[in-house]
Amino acid sequence: MKKAIHYINQFFAGIGGEDTADYKPEIREGAIGPALALSSMLNAEITHTVICGDNYMGSNTDEAIKEILSFLEDKEFDIFIAGPAFQAGRYGVACGNICKAVKERFNVPVLTSMNEENPGVEMFKKDMYVFKGGKSAAKLKDDVKVIASFANKILNGEKTGSADKEGFFPRGIRAQVWLESGKTGAERGVEMLIKKLNGLPFESELPIPKQDRVPVATPIADLSKAKIAIMTTGGIVPVNNPDRIQSASATRWGRYDISNVDKLESGVYKTIHAGFDPAAADADPNVIMPVDAMKTYLKEGKFGALHDYFYSTVGTGTTQAEAMRMAKEIIIKLEEDKVDAVIMTST
Amino acid sequence: MKLEIGNFLIKDVIFGEKTMFNNGILTINKEEAIAFIKEDEHITDVDIVIAKPGENTRIVPVKEAVEPRIRPDGRAVFPGVTGDIEMAGSGRVHALKGCSVLGVGMHYGSFGDGLIDMGGEGAKYTLFSQLINICIVADTDEEFERFEQQKKNTAIRMASHKFAEYLGATVKDKEPEEVEVFELDPVIKRTEEVNKLPSVVLVMQPQSQMEALGYNDEVYGWDMNKYVPSFMNPNEVLDGALISGSFMPCSSKWSTYDFQNFPTIKELYKEHGKSINFLGVIMSNLNVALEQKKRSAIFVAQMAKSLGADGAIVTEEGYGNPDADYILCLAALEDVGVKTVGISNECTGRDGASQPLVTLDVKANALVSTGNVSQLIELSPADKVIGELQALARDGLSGGWSYDEILGPSVREDGSIIMENNAMFCGDMIAGWSPKTMKEF
Repeated sequence: MKKAIHYINQFFAGIGGEDTADYKPEIREGAIGPALALSSMLNAEITHTVICGDNYMGSNTDEAIKEILSFLEDKEFDIFIAGPAFQAGRYGVACGNICKAVKERFNVPVLTSMNEENPGVEMFKKDMYVFKGGKSAAKLKDDVKVIASFANKILNGEKTGSADKEGFFPRGIRAQVWLESGKTGAERGVEMLIKKLNGLPFESELPIPKQDRVPVATPIADLSKAKIAIMTTGGIVPVNNPDRIQSASATRWGRYDISNVDKLESGVYKTIHAGFDPAAADADPNVIMPVDAMKTYLKEGKFGALHDYFYSTVGTGTTQAEAMRMAKEIIIKLEEDKVDAVIMTST
Repeated sequence: MKLEIGNFLIKDVIFGEKTMFNNGILTINKEEAIAFIKEDEHITDVDIVIAKPGENTRIVPVKEAVEPRIRPDGRAVFPGVTGDIEMAGSGRVHALKGCSVLGVGMHYGSFGDGLIDMGGEGAKYTLFSQLINICIVADTDEEFERFEQQKKNTAIRMASHKFAEYLGATVKDKEPEEVEVFELDPVIKRTEEVNKLPSVVLVMQPQSQMEALGYNDEVYGWDMNKYVPSFMNPNEVLDGALISGSFMPCSSKWSTYDFQNFPTIKELYKEHGKSINFLGVIMSNLNVALEQKKRSAIFVAQMAKSLGADGAIVTEEGYGNPDADYILCLAALEDVGVKTVGISNECTGRDGASQPLVTLDVKANALVSTGNVSQLIELSPADKVIGELQALARDGLSGGWSYDEILGPSVREDGSIIMENNAMFCGDMIAGWSPKTMKEF
């Protein structure tokens, strides 16, 4: 039989309320409190229960996590479940923190449950399965049932469903599914329009998410002293594409030394971008990566220095998440070389 | 305008003595058919292979799909493409239902080409696994683009259109088993009952973003890059006025077969006179520069408003950059008081965590999602390959790759494959077929 470990606070362990919230971490054999309800529905044995006071976890988080992880080092377990935490804010955050640490350290599935009002939801829903729970312990049985049915799917190696079907908060991950109804896009579209035209409620299949806006940077005070770097998503690379940057859906980037050239020569550089007609860029790579213009401006003293490298990747089909990761990697290099500003060219 | 599509249901396609249709069986004289296709001197080598639903067969690189049709009155099936330019959308056209002509590269693929699995796990990713596919497997003399990632694929695509008409000729003088009728009265001459219903337009954005000509969708044989939005009768779309191009990542593509059978048009027809007054199609396009995108959105919004549309469905043949045209158009329509629904796919990345469309606007509050272009798909080897499997990895198909440090190449030694949905032939079925949606996980 598979094995599970459960995390609860001092209150649900029956130790006490607010007066005992400083209770230090402890591990006990077997199931305690809510785990008793859970164990009757779970296809796994709850071998241990970890208990920790909410205040202790809140004010000594690193220490508490370290102690708990040390309890788990010699234990075998297939899944880790915390809570449910209902509306209890500190308990919710504690469940999130310990689940996150356990997932990172032991790479086992971690599950918890909270009410939508619990601040832990916003903090942790992208890191783990946080199930939509009731407001108080009166909903314990229902909440535990939802967790157990999902946990059993994981334990049995079965396919799990979407957030709305399984009852967890969306983790910001969108994937395609085949509708059981078999209803086509055309049918859904026309039906949605008729509802909208008649003022009836309808549900968009793509709710527009909150926008991730980058604040505009402060201007450079003195351009004559500034070091400028140039960068492109237009796929300009040395002709042999040494970093094997993909022509679409790129996950790689490269940087190429331009300290000794006045411009990018055709035949030495080219574009590997698959989203536009490459003829003009191959004939003159500077139309995308304007090394020629930047060198001229440099000689004219329009700015202080040109960074020794240009940076390149491909933008077509490249996901926003991959783009952000690559940017973070590139920023380290730019900061090392004390670059003040970047000119980014697109296509 | 009244269009009758006379349907002949195809039960089987076989090779035989005489090219003919009889009792649901389409027989093809292979030798004659090959000779017909080779009349185009650019086709240097060609074979015809039949692929049937359920077979463990993989077809790649697929460039085009066309439903075989003929017009009994002698007009070209694709006016301005396979014959003289004349108005489409009225009169009678005969169609061989349940099959399609596929244009397949004998060796080389390109960015917009796709893959079809006729059976097994892979079959669910494309509509074309459900059809009997008559594959033109050809090589050409188009040396200028043989090793280019972007190919016009002109010879193979044109062969598909012509061969579809050639096969359609088998039912030219026969009586169809069923006749579908598509008829709309002129916009300002409709009955009171129809007029009092909310009026609706369909805004189509076919792919036209390649500034070099020859890669884009065409309307009456005209490259849609050099085009501004026009009002069209939906019958023209169903009747061969548009043909597909060779540019867009394949799962987002509308093949010519899609235009001929456009499910969203058929669904709007179904509701016409019942719950809506279907005014017609505003045929837009997709553009490169922001100014061009805005210009098209202005044309569309003005036309919809002037026609008196209360609602619009907007649908794009693409993802990524074209999302900007799509969202701009939806917002422009909402701004002039036209209620909108959008139909398109998403690109949320292999991990599903990326922003689903390139641009977003809260005005686009009613969207239908038909799939994720970047979903990873792993499929076991097929017994038979039509075309050349290596094309998926070697030739820069939008959903294939020759090298990846984690995933390895798209095509493995044992013939199994790993790819992005991007390269599934018309896989996101944006024309309206898609039984897929996107869910949060």
